[in-house]
Amino acid sequence: MNAAEGIDVKCVGVTKTFRDFWMRPRVRAVEAVDLEIRRGQIYGLLGPNGSGKSTTIKMLLGLLTPTSGRIAVLGRRPRDVAAKRHVGYLPEESYLYRFLSARETLDYYGRLFRMPRAVRAERTARLLEMVGLEAVEHRPVGEFSKGMQRRVGLAQALINDPQLLILDEPTSGMDPVAARQIKDLIADLGRRGKTVLLCTHQLSDVEDLCDRVAIMFGGRVRAEGTCDDLLVQEALTTIQTDALPEGVVTEIRGLLARHGIDHCDVTRPRRRMESLFLEIVERARVEGLQTSGARSGGRVADFLRGDPATAASVATGPGAVEEAEADTAAQGPAPAAGVDAGLIDSLTRRS
Amino acid sequence: MDVTRQARSWLEGRHRWTIIAATVVGSALAVVGLFVQAGWLVAATGLTGVTGMAVGCVVGLAGIRGLLAGSTGIAGVARAVIDEAVRMRAALVLLVLLVLLIPTLPLVLDHDERLEYRVQFLLAWALGGTGLILSLLTIFLACGSICGDIESSRIHTTLAKPLHRWEYLAGKWLGIVLFDLLLVALAGAGTATFVRVLARTPATDQADRDAVDHQVLTARAAVAPTHDRPGEYEAAIAAAIRRLEEDDPDGFARNPEAARRRIRQEYDWQWHTVTPDMVSTFVFSGLVDAKVAPTVQLQLKPRVNNVDIDLADVRFAVWLNGRPWPMREGVHQDQTLPSLAVSVLALPTEFIDETGTLKITLANRNLVPAGETRPTAITLPPGDGLRLLYRTGGFEANLLRCLAVMWCKLALVAAAGVAAAAMLGFSTAVLLALVIYAYALGSGFLRDALGEYNVVGESFLVTVIERLRAAAGLGLEFRFYEAARMLLGFVTDVVLRVLPAFGDYDAVGSLATGIEVPGRAALACGAIIGLGYPLLLGVLGWLVFDRRDLVRPNT
Repeated sequence: MNAAEGIDVKCVGVTKTFRDFWMRPRVRAVEAVDLEIRRGQIYGLLGPNGSGKSTTIKMLLGLLTPTSGRIAVLGRRPRDVAAKRHVGYLPEESYLYRFLSARETLDYYGRLFRMPRAVRAERTARLLEMVGLEAVEHRPVGEFSKGMQRRVGLAQALINDPQLLILDEPTSGMDPVAARQIKDLIADLGRRGKTVLLCTHQLSDVEDLCDRVAIMFGGRVRAEGTCDDLLVQEALTTIQTDALPEGVVTEIRGLLARHGIDHCDVTRPRRRMESLFLEIVERARVEGLQTSGARSGGRVADFLRGDPATAASVATGPGAVEEAEADTAAQGPAPAAGVDAGLIDSLTRRS
Repeated sequence: MDVTRQARSWLEGRHRWTIIAATVVGSALAVVGLFVQAGWLVAATGLTGVTGMAVGCVVGLAGIRGLLAGSTGIAGVARAVIDEAVRMRAALVLLVLLVLLIPTLPLVLDHDERLEYRVQFLLAWALGGTGLILSLLTIFLACGSICGDIESSRIHTTLAKPLHRWEYLAGKWLGIVLFDLLLVALAGAGTATFVRVLARTPATDQADRDAVDHQVLTARAAVAPTHDRPGEYEAAIAAAIRRLEEDDPDGFARNPEAARRRIRQEYDWQWHTVTPDMVSTFVFSGLVDAKVAPTVQLQLKPRVNNVDIDLADVRFAVWLNGRPWPMREGVHQDQTLPSLAVSVLALPTEFIDETGTLKITLANRNLVPAGETRPTAITLPPGDGLRLLYRTGGFEANLLRCLAVMWCKLALVAAAGVAAAAMLGFSTAVLLALVIYAYALGSGFLRDALGEYNVVGESFLVTVIERLRAAAGLGLEFRFYEAARMLLGFVTDVVLRVLPAFGDYDAVGSLATGIEVPGRAALACGAIIGLGYPLLLGVLGWLVFDRRDLVRPNT
């Protein structure tokens, strides 16, 4: 099985042991991890601090070399720059150059993708608008709040319109409005066939977004499956109706008792705090109240929505072929051409 | 209110630095105007220089940023380094020091000193200081930039992009090297300007003026003498070496290379010593190009063997290609020069023969000191004690070559910093880079100081075996200290041969004494110091960096 067959990330028996200066084993951060993330999936990687999530992600990005086991990202080795061309990464902290402005930061990362200047400028403008920082685009990132830095971080992760997006705590430090927007964006990208690996402590994010989830602890995957597999309680049934009068409730309890069911909780469902908050903010916005600093983000950048007209309009520079390739990858078929056949074979054999 | 908001938006906008720079330059020029009004011309010159260098720095930075506008990973990383360089505190301190150094140096010179020495002092200290400051800046920048990326985890975001690790290192090196190019160019322009300004000030006398114009602010080729009977001379040296080998075979075998070198030095010293009872002839060849000018310069630094003699009393007679010189009213004139000082005689090029050869014969005409029966011998030490100089070009072109050599050395220092940072943490990387720099800087001195151990002969393998056998012999005789000393000296010698030597390309020393920095030497320096060693160091750094885990465990 390979990227062409719909698997964007595959780990087989991956172990990472950190060694000290004298090469003595010091910490086994990840142990015998198997992962398989399919194209278009939003995959949640959960676990407490020190469970091995970040180490796993850094091995996927080629920043760490596994002590044993094999990894394929988009059908290639993680260090292969051909694979990295289609990967976006938002780290858990904003690891950005503090002295560069938001615009310069995006330009810098766009340059690392060898994007022509016109494409960089176009995408930078769209992304800054999307994350609501166009008004402060010339201020150094070091002067930004943590939330604003996260927005820059997210923008740089999306500059190449990646096929595989790896997000480490994407909503950390963000206000609920921005967090909701990011969640909407992730869901949108998932619908467009993008693959998202979401590493977070926000369990509600995972519940809302993820198709599949792996829960790590002590460097191992302790549970893995779809959210329904893991969360549905087969032994319980919930019936939701309009509010019932007390007499009807008593009748239902009697009916259940006749069927030998003694346990029956009747409660009033509560709204989620997130939806209440978003409603209040939206009402205030309609009334014309403004906040200082970063404003709420704008519409999703055209190139991320797979707008073919925009893609065509920007792909005119010297790197147009590469850009067109990236866009094609984003819209459907995997960047399967040129996958590392040897690596795929070995992974298939191991699995 | 609107004006305030507009001003604020400008200051926060993309032109903030342009506005700040224009304000600073305008203020500086206003102060210069006040200084001129008040008659403080020296202060006005200094402030103009500082402002000019600062403006040059800003304009140059913009130029380099434009140069790195290409859409490649290496250019992107290099451009980020430039941006980082101007904001790094340590780099900024050194940068300010550099901008202040050159314009303020002329202010600290002693105005009673001869102009020749003042110009030489300014050249040597401005460029020497620039080399030192830029080397330190380069090391801190290279180590700070890479180690900073790793320690702050910024490198995770960068290397998650389609960028090879070698491209990352190459980008860092390129950025630093281009930043150095800008600063070297600025320092060169500043030095050239201030040297010319200083050279226009009144000289002590005409000789001082001539020295400034024809011996300092010029480029001269230096020709060393050869023996007039080279066959006999070499045979005499070979015979002396054979005699030593026969008389003391064990001593000779311990270090044959050093013994040969010592004999040659003794013979060279004898040959350069003009005794009262014989004449010495020195042959200078390859002077065809020198004939275009009316004169060539004979540089002498005579010393006498009797320390009590009057310092001004070194007298000798000169023959050029067998003809007495100088003649005045039909009489051959003796020359009188101060001992232990560098003197220059202008020799007419008409004496040089068609093959470009000039034989200079010297006869000792020293007075007989009190209590002695014969005059004291005159020694013209090999090296700068006796050489012929002729003009080959101008000062500015020589300065350019000197700056090119300096830049090549900085390219090596940058590579050392990048390689060290690719392997180690910040403090150890800085230390390692400083050690490499110090070795390169002091390699000439170290080679001389450790000459006793300089035992690597024609065959390295044979020498290794010989050394190990000799050390084992000493060990068997329980002379462990001597055995360890011998091995340590050998290792040091090998290390010194492997490490780069800046001393081989002393461009600043040459420039300050008006000696040409040959284009060929600058090219060789570029190939070896500027490209060869950086490539080697870069590959070493990459080999480690490519296998290095760039994440530390949290626990």
